[in-house]
Amino acid sequence: MTTAARSAPAGPPAGLDPDAAQAAIEHCYEQGWSDGLPLVPATQPLVDTFLAAAGRSPDEVIGRLPQLDRVVTVRLAAINAVLAGCRPEYFPVVLAAWEALMRERATGGGWQSTSGPAPLIVVNGPVRTELGFNAAGGAFGPGFRPNATVPRAIGLIVRNVYGIRPHELEQATQGLPGRWSICLAENEEESPWPPLASEAGLPDGISAVSATLLRTCEFVDNRHTSSAEQLLGDFADTIGRSGSWIFQYAAAGVVFCPEHAQLLAGAGFDRTQVRAWLAERCGRSTAELARAGKDGLDGRVRLPGDGEPAAHFQRMLSSDDRENLLIAVAGARNAGISMVIRLFADWSGAAVPVDRPDAASRTTDKHEES
Amino acid sequence: MPNAILDPTGRADFAPAARPRGLVLAPRPPGLAGLRVGLMNNTKHNAALLLAEIGKLLAAEHAEASVTVADTKPNFAAPAPADLIGRYRRECDVVITGVGDCGSCSASAVADGILFEQAGLPAAVICSDAFAVTATAMAELRGAPDYRYIVTEHPVAVLDAEQVRERAKRLAPEVVALLTARAGQ
Repeated sequence: MTTAARSAPAGPPAGLDPDAAQAAIEHCYEQGWSDGLPLVPATQPLVDTFLAAAGRSPDEVIGRLPQLDRVVTVRLAAINAVLAGCRPEYFPVVLAAWEALMRERATGGGWQSTSGPAPLIVVNGPVRTELGFNAAGGAFGPGFRPNATVPRAIGLIVRNVYGIRPHELEQATQGLPGRWSICLAENEEESPWPPLASEAGLPDGISAVSATLLRTCEFVDNRHTSSAEQLLGDFADTIGRSGSWIFQYAAAGVVFCPEHAQLLAGAGFDRTQVRAWLAERCGRSTAELARAGKDGLDGRVRLPGDGEPAAHFQRMLSSDDRENLLIAVAGARNAGISMVIRLFADWSGAAVPVDRPDAASRTTDKHEES
Repeated sequence: MPNAILDPTGRADFAPAARPRGLVLAPRPPGLAGLRVGLMNNTKHNAALLLAEIGKLLAAEHAEASVTVADTKPNFAAPAPADLIGRYRRECDVVITGVGDCGSCSASAVADGILFEQAGLPAAVICSDAFAVTATAMAELRGAPDYRYIVTEHPVAVLDAEQVRERAKRLAPEVVALLTARAGQ
């Protein structure tokens, strides 16, 4: 694939009509379907190849927002996956990502929220290499078609099928960079830990997708310590920041680069121990939170309190359960840079198998009931 | 003959013709004297206090009017469930709800107002002006593009208790106008 991408331009194949393509793209813009970038116009024959790749009934309902009285079917998801630039074989991954998101606050008012949360999609298993998902350098993108188009398909479903469009039913105050473009494959080859999907209870070697919604993310650059405690201390400080911490507790996560993950594993830390260490230390004292007007509580919402007892340490994570701290491994093995992610709400912790009826490596496992 | 370009919205499948257009508001009483007022708080910060203060003002200004229900929506993002709407219908004559002060709750507050009207209860929905566009988008979605609700200046969540009481004083006459025959529908 890389070789093909780098080969000398051979000139366009005969018979392509760029003028017709441009006119069709403009038509899609005029209908209000676009997220701002050009769309691939969907035709029935192309959509049929997507539906065939998934092997699901086109009329199957896979999403519903009662407050808007709108439903997503497999057919509508396929049309939007075409628009996003997916290849047909990506469509089962889109469906698995969508199903994983249905377990998150995306089923309520999440897509309409002022926070403008971004889906985080993590892909595990053989589908990564078979479809060309990037798990290594630049894991958060851009540059790779499946990583870029699968989350874009999710965004287009929300925009077009739910009708949640910016300035209308979508009320993001600023939104967040990469809102519809965060899909990474886990770097299982260089991770010292089992795949995220295995941690969720799926059999090893299965292709699966985990997903949640992000409030925001921020990286930790620490490439000069060999101490696991110092490294984790840097993460604890970043995770514990008050900026996006608005309820009593907040859930977070870390997408570790291979170097950081290997350092921690070398010091004897598995995911559970990393979580236990961080759960105890991520947070701020009441005095520190008081300086940000977030030391008090009204129900579960943080607001200015009386600042007492000043030295009391308020933990950010409600427990060291895995739902409170998602841990994955992705990126290049070239520096100590890992991404701290802040979750919009609780994470289900679930991984959804990618069901590919035509793939040689198809799974016989049925989707979990949602 | 080129292939047709498919519509990704599925809007044609929603059969808009089959959906109700045009909302018939609940009949308005001539005034609030003697009526039972319901308050439905959507959990947004300061909503409970603002509604309670408006309720007090209405009770003080209208003979024998009283607040009979002050309940909370279970989920601010979704329209109120039917059993909750039913409770207001049984125990109140008019309802005040809000505050629409976020992306999903502003839209759903308007949806609630429409549900109350359809249940025969005059309703006053209070929404922050920063969310008027999304509130109106919901009204259109529910087939009531001209639905009237009360718009108050943003932000509401940062007001202190005294400022909330001031806000309630300013809004109370608008609430009365919207709930009674003075609405001029």
